[in-house]
Amino acid sequence: MTTLTEAAAPVVAPLAKSPGYWAGVFRRFKTDKVAVGAGIVVLLIILMAIFADYIAPADPTRSSMLRRLRPIGTPGYPLGADELGRDMLSRLIFGARLSLFMGVVPVFIAFVFGSLIGVAAGFFGGKFNTITMRTVDVFYAFPSVLLAIALSGAMGAGIANSLLSLTIVFIPPIARIAESVTTQVRGMDYVEAARASGAGAGTIIRVHVLGNVLGPIFVYATSLISVSMILASGLSFLGLGTKPPTPEWGLMLNTLRTAIYVQPWVAALPGAAIFITSISFNLLSDGLRSAMDVKG
Amino acid sequence: MAETPTLDERDRGGAGTPLLEARTLTKHFPLGGGAVVRAVDGVDFAVLKGETLGVVGESGCGKSTTARVVMQLIAQDKGEMLFDGEIVGGLSLSLKEYRRQAQMVFQDSYASLNPRLTIEDSIAFGPTVHGVSKQAAILRARDLLLRVGLDPARFAARYPHELSGGQRQRVNIARALALGPRLVILDEAVSALDKSVEAQVLNLLMDLRQEFGLTYIFISHDLNVVRFISDRVMVMYLGEVVEIGPVDELYDDPRHPYTRALLSAMPSMDPDNRTMEAPLAGDPPNPINPPEGCRFHPRCPQAQTVCAKVKPVLATAGEGARQVACHMEVAGSGHSRAPKLEEAA
Repeated sequence: MTTLTEAAAPVVAPLAKSPGYWAGVFRRFKTDKVAVGAGIVVLLIILMAIFADYIAPADPTRSSMLRRLRPIGTPGYPLGADELGRDMLSRLIFGARLSLFMGVVPVFIAFVFGSLIGVAAGFFGGKFNTITMRTVDVFYAFPSVLLAIALSGAMGAGIANSLLSLTIVFIPPIARIAESVTTQVRGMDYVEAARASGAGAGTIIRVHVLGNVLGPIFVYATSLISVSMILASGLSFLGLGTKPPTPEWGLMLNTLRTAIYVQPWVAALPGAAIFITSISFNLLSDGLRSAMDVKG
Repeated sequence: MAETPTLDERDRGGAGTPLLEARTLTKHFPLGGGAVVRAVDGVDFAVLKGETLGVVGESGCGKSTTARVVMQLIAQDKGEMLFDGEIVGGLSLSLKEYRRQAQMVFQDSYASLNPRLTIEDSIAFGPTVHGVSKQAAILRARDLLLRVGLDPARFAARYPHELSGGQRQRVNIARALALGPRLVILDEAVSALDKSVEAQVLNLLMDLRQEFGLTYIFISHDLNVVRFISDRVMVMYLGEVVEIGPVDELYDDPRHPYTRALLSAMPSMDPDNRTMEAPLAGDPPNPINPPEGCRFHPRCPQAQTVCAKVKPVLATAGEGARQVACHMEVAGSGHSRAPKLEEAA
């Protein structure tokens, strides 16, 4: 063994790297036109939210009693004006910030904690699994809307509280997915082989489990972003989330609901924004899922 | 490392001590409701230094569970193992240290490699666990790839799905060797391969045994392959050892009726030497409720009343190295074909 080791290059020379797993995922993802389209839409919405200050034609909170409920296409108000005469286009652009924030952040926090709980339960199994997962099931048993409303209602209105309640709503489903994927991976021979080489649980989880479970969990979590946005909008609609005059799509939907007979198209705009964003996130996660599924 | 097994610097007990000795290893899986699957039920055997012990038996006879218990992937319920004279998991031989000296190759070459790791990372993982630096481990991995017949320049940075089944199994062998083990358990390691690839991998295994002074436990349902590679063979039936002995002796003159039935099921290449005995009928009995007495008696053509009542123990039969668990081998057992008592005396 020693002779050959010495004959080999003394430093670890980088070898011709094979394209690898993620390159394959990306290659398959590129061929999925719908998913790429959805990805572009998501990217545009994110850019829109980031650069809202530069894109928005007007101040989203400047109201005008004279220009209430203008139709789409009014000069100076390309998408009309809302019930307080504020520019709808600007409000939609600024509203993307909070709506995206409420869509992504609770899901991300729930992704971290749900994965932690699920991976631990799945990997260690036995009684620990039973206790953890049955506790999770108690939360899972509630319909997500009901749970979000109940938690938000109990903690009081406000962005921070609705963020927290949405996070709590999303931990159980993510933990369940994480647990089932981890249970599958734990039974694989490469995990057995790692145990046979004397590695501890921490090392095995880090090297062999996480890399194989985080992908599927992440894809599932992506599909929850749209749910989170809709739930957040719902909470705002009920007055449990954002407070006026902050632009947020759900809140806008709520306040414009009275104008539905006067200016139906303008009143429908925030709903359309929620719909487009959530369906784009869903299509994107579907595309990711199928791109990651294929073997070889 | 290419020293002969008896000169291995880690050798403690000398050439006479078995490398691995299993004593009444038992593993029962509870099913709930009080039922248990007696997967491994009081198995005794020894693996000598430098030999290959073949393990054969029908599906469900406990071969793989035995392998997993020997590898300590599952803990035994009863019994103990001695590795080179020291109790595995005891004070002088920790489980971690034992795992450096005993390694395993699994049947499914794809499932036993992490799909997200490159080949060299998979091989290098074990050594890094035992404190070898990442760089040294990678060098060792590339060296081992060469030893198992894969060009490191071509394969080291590849992923498992880019390799063929035979290539992947070579990688698995390299991974098992990365820790410099003395004992390698091959659990159906060549069973999933094409015949031509299987032959190459078998030859590779024989070469590696010589080169690294390895001892093998070779588990397979393929009797021809076991005869080819083994020095001694152990026959298992329903979680028990029914016969164990040197390979040629056992294949030429099987003593246990189950071994006979198993070997007669092997297709003969000689038309004049066709199997005349009826093959075994039916499936093996349920390991949840194994039959009383000898576990083979419901299917045994020579079964008599004693077989249904008294459980035969594994005992030396004939001259020397063979051990058989059958009443027909024990004088005075009550079986009409057993040797007469005065003959034995």
